[in-house]
Amino acid sequence: MIVDVSAFSGAWPSHPVHGRVEDVVDSLKAVSVDRILCSPLDGVWCRNPHLYNGPLYRACADRKDLLAVPVIDPTMATWEAEVGEAVEMGAKALRLFPNYHGYSLEDVTSLWDPIHTTGLVTIIQTRMEDPRRQHPASVVEDVAVKQILELGGKRPDLKLVIGGARTGDIRSASEVLRGNENLYADVSQADGLDAVKVMVEDGLAESLLFGSHAPLFIPHSAVARVITDIDDDLADAILGRNAARLFAIQ
Amino acid sequence: MSNIGELRERLRSPWPVLDCHVHPLDCFGLYKVETPEEDAERLIASAKRSGIVKMILFSLHRTTPREPTMEQCQEANDWAMKMTDAAPEVFLPFCYVNPMYPDESVEEIERCVGEGKMCGVKLWVARRATDPGLDPIVEKAVSLDVPLLQHAWIKTTGNLVGESFPADVADLSRRHPDARIIMAHLNGIGLRGIEDIVDCENVVVDVSGGDPESCLVEIAAERLGHTRVVYGSDAPIRHYAVTLGKVLGSHFSDDQKQDILWNNAARLLPEWAGVGLLEDAL
Repeated sequence: MIVDVSAFSGAWPSHPVHGRVEDVVDSLKAVSVDRILCSPLDGVWCRNPHLYNGPLYRACADRKDLLAVPVIDPTMATWEAEVGEAVEMGAKALRLFPNYHGYSLEDVTSLWDPIHTTGLVTIIQTRMEDPRRQHPASVVEDVAVKQILELGGKRPDLKLVIGGARTGDIRSASEVLRGNENLYADVSQADGLDAVKVMVEDGLAESLLFGSHAPLFIPHSAVARVITDIDDDLADAILGRNAARLFAIQ
Repeated sequence: MSNIGELRERLRSPWPVLDCHVHPLDCFGLYKVETPEEDAERLIASAKRSGIVKMILFSLHRTTPREPTMEQCQEANDWAMKMTDAAPEVFLPFCYVNPMYPDESVEEIERCVGEGKMCGVKLWVARRATDPGLDPIVEKAVSLDVPLLQHAWIKTTGNLVGESFPADVADLSRRHPDARIIMAHLNGIGLRGIEDIVDCENVVVDVSGGDPESCLVEIAAERLGHTRVVYGSDAPIRHYAVTLGKVLGSHFSDDQKQDILWNNAARLLPEWAGVGLLEDAL
């Protein structure tokens, strides 16, 4: 089973994408993805990102292949109710965009107890676009992986995913990631010759999750990144087994 | 898990691939190498897994200085030639020069291309393509009948002082309409850079540079014609197969994919490269 923990639906303001839910699903099924954890792309830039969670829940309702990952902005007055709705709707994870929504992880301490109580996995997106390729009027710096590691150190009870980090940033977290059952990294933006192979050789086979970054990125590239250089068993872990364990997906 | 093996085969290129943008591991990447032979062996092992059988190779020197001395260019070119000696059936080396030193660059091109039968010329970020220092270099490339690969980017965070924008490459193409120019980094120049070269028929763009963003290769093919798009990975900075996915995962016909993955670059190479069209190789 292939589980994509980093898919989106919707529009992106500076680049054309095929972002309708069915287009995203079709593009991922074409490369044999079975389960799609999907967040609303429009929630990245909207001043109230929560507005896009409702339509996503409806799109995912009664579907086994498409799982809603709502966007939570803890600087919104209603964030706690939004987390509550995520639980009611059966979400398995939340996605945070600290850089786009203007906060630091250490500033939102009240968020973590309720999230721990719900048992939801928190995906912290470090990057949506290479800063060199962003629209010049809207440059957003990456979230430092170090911030997530510090959070994980303070709150080892939280289940965290480092989303969209580059190869070097994931490797710099190797010591903390190895053997940590509550901390993972998706490989949606890992690149470089043998990138996944090298990270596996770093001992991260059980810590990496497949992510496509569709529809911003091409799904074919995402799957090829994982399966080209490592054996079937290791690829199986990264493509789905690790995610199935973390998110309790069958 | 047997499905993964099937998927691996399904996503591999069904055709051999010519990668027009590869650097030695001596310059970039996650592995340390000691010799050109080891460099060649490691690059080829990874390339084979992605279905790449030929690679246009250029070194930017192991210290990757932005304004290399000519001695550094010579060392870089010697490294690339030794890698080619180790695997002549795979590597198609390009000669790296610096337009800050036009006369010496022409001499180096004569040494490496005229005598050494390298297959093209590589320019990086020492001077923008509008700089007159490029003119004797391009004239030399034209006289030897080889293509020139020019780095280009549009960086929101700001280009380096000597780093070419695609508009600079367009200027170069107009100054030298007989030159065959490969502009690097489609994913670095983006949607706006494509428009800069629409009218420059002697410029093709390689699909390297940046992430595998959706739609971009298709838009480039639509705006330029698919015969002006060539596959290049920028390995080892980037992954061969991730970059291949930009072509294989886009909506092209098989004929168009074969052109982008092989024929369009093959047509640019000199006869001594020994690279025919894909239909001849199959």
